[in-house]
Amino acid sequence: MRMLTALVLAVVLESTGAAALGAPGNAADANGAPEAKPASEGGKHASTADESAPEPSGYWTGPVNSPVPATLTGGTVISSAHRLRELLDQKDSVLVDVSNAPTRPDNMAPGAPWLPVPHRAIPGSVWIPGVGAGEIPAALDDFFRQKLATLTDNSPFRRVILYCHKTCWLSWNAAKRAISYGYQHVYWYRDGVEGWKAAGLPTAVIEPQATPGD
Amino acid sequence: MGTVKRLLLAAVLVSATQLGTLSSAVADDDNAAERASRWQVLQQALFPGRSLKDGAGIVQLDAPPRALDAALVPIGIELSAVKPIKSVYLVIDGNPSPLAGHFTFGPKADPHSLKLRVRVDQYTNMHAVAETQDGQLFVATKFVKASGGCSAPAGSDDTSALQDIGRMKLHLIGDFAPGKTEQAVLMVRHPNFNGMQMNQITRYYTPARFIRSIDVTYEGGSVFHLDSDISMSTDPVITFGFVPQAKGQMKVVVRDSKDITFDHSFEVPASQKVAGDSGTNPGA
Repeated sequence: MRMLTALVLAVVLESTGAAALGAPGNAADANGAPEAKPASEGGKHASTADESAPEPSGYWTGPVNSPVPATLTGGTVISSAHRLRELLDQKDSVLVDVSNAPTRPDNMAPGAPWLPVPHRAIPGSVWIPGVGAGEIPAALDDFFRQKLATLTDNSPFRRVILYCHKTCWLSWNAAKRAISYGYQHVYWYRDGVEGWKAAGLPTAVIEPQATPGD
Repeated sequence: MGTVKRLLLAAVLVSATQLGTLSSAVADDDNAAERASRWQVLQQALFPGRSLKDGAGIVQLDAPPRALDAALVPIGIELSAVKPIKSVYLVIDGNPSPLAGHFTFGPKADPHSLKLRVRVDQYTNMHAVAETQDGQLFVATKFVKASGGCSAPAGSDDTSALQDIGRMKLHLIGDFAPGKTEQAVLMVRHPNFNGMQMNQITRYYTPARFIRSIDVTYEGGSVFHLDSDISMSTDPVITFGFVPQAKGQMKVVVRDSKDITFDHSFEVPASQKVAGDSGTNPGA
């Protein structure tokens, strides 16, 4: 079923000539398990979650939970939780979690329970959901720009660190976006909150910022 | 209450410490304690003021320890005949809408086995809570490793996903014998959009549209009523038991969140039987 979906997607992408959407063959399912590749990939083997993808030229608009690059042009990749802690200890960092926040569907039954799991993040994070999507509405783009300006006291030289989850493109996109705003020291913590937890470091429950469109 | 929780946490701490290295014990402890407290919160919200007993021997929950596809996690619920069961709740602790389904059995049901497929958003405990006719609650638990099921796309194309909406099939498993329990598999075409899925072409979030209830009746009597929610998979497949007569009609009514109703009646067993396929397709 999913293989079929991937194939159909690949065919649609090819027929519309939408090469800029990135390689559809990098699709992996949410478990990071390898997924069947479309034939157009030319016999390359299926990727796994630990593999890294090439950097796309623009923002990544493919599946959010698929292998991410090892690099970020114009920014710095933070290689370990230990290194992230060192940077955070220097106190002048702005730490932004761009994980998705679940939103309650409008038409749920009135009494249906809506109880999202409390969101655990790296202590000191500001949670701005939505700003790591491949394409974002202008209002959200403005919001993110303004929010970063406020958090950095309008200094393009402050360190801005972005993260979300392991094998998640949202923070890569958001970091690229921050670079485009002119920040000179953008860092991307690739391992996400899972990497932080795996290092035995504490987390804190945080609430998302109210973003336009909420 | 507080004491119970503390005891539970202590038990978790002990078992986590026995697991091995310190760092993994710390991580496990963090997660296990969190899961225990999550379940406390959910119990309060879903079953206020009621106590839940260990369901060993009464209710059993089957789920893969690690799901291949988080958007299609197969779940089995087995209910023993020890106590007459009125209804069963399926709770997926880690989902934002944790009550995935509530089946209420009718007089025409053989309430001993249920199968369905659900979405799982993150590594989570699941609970099947069986409610007996006399109002007691019995619980079975399973831990499932799967994540991302809530945002996994329903397909590449929303339009085609909606094209066949409401189409149904019914299969019988095993040899058909009047008066003997039969397992039926109901398949309903419905994207069950939960509002968290992005259209792979337009890059916009697809508005939520999901099945809220399914009613199955046999010869005018209820087999089950299901209240469902966004945790149900795309194109739900539900396996359930009933006791057929030599010939009868099974009627299925599906209502979704747009208040659109789909219904279909099936001859049981199917009248124009094709070898190897006892399913019946609706007309247009």
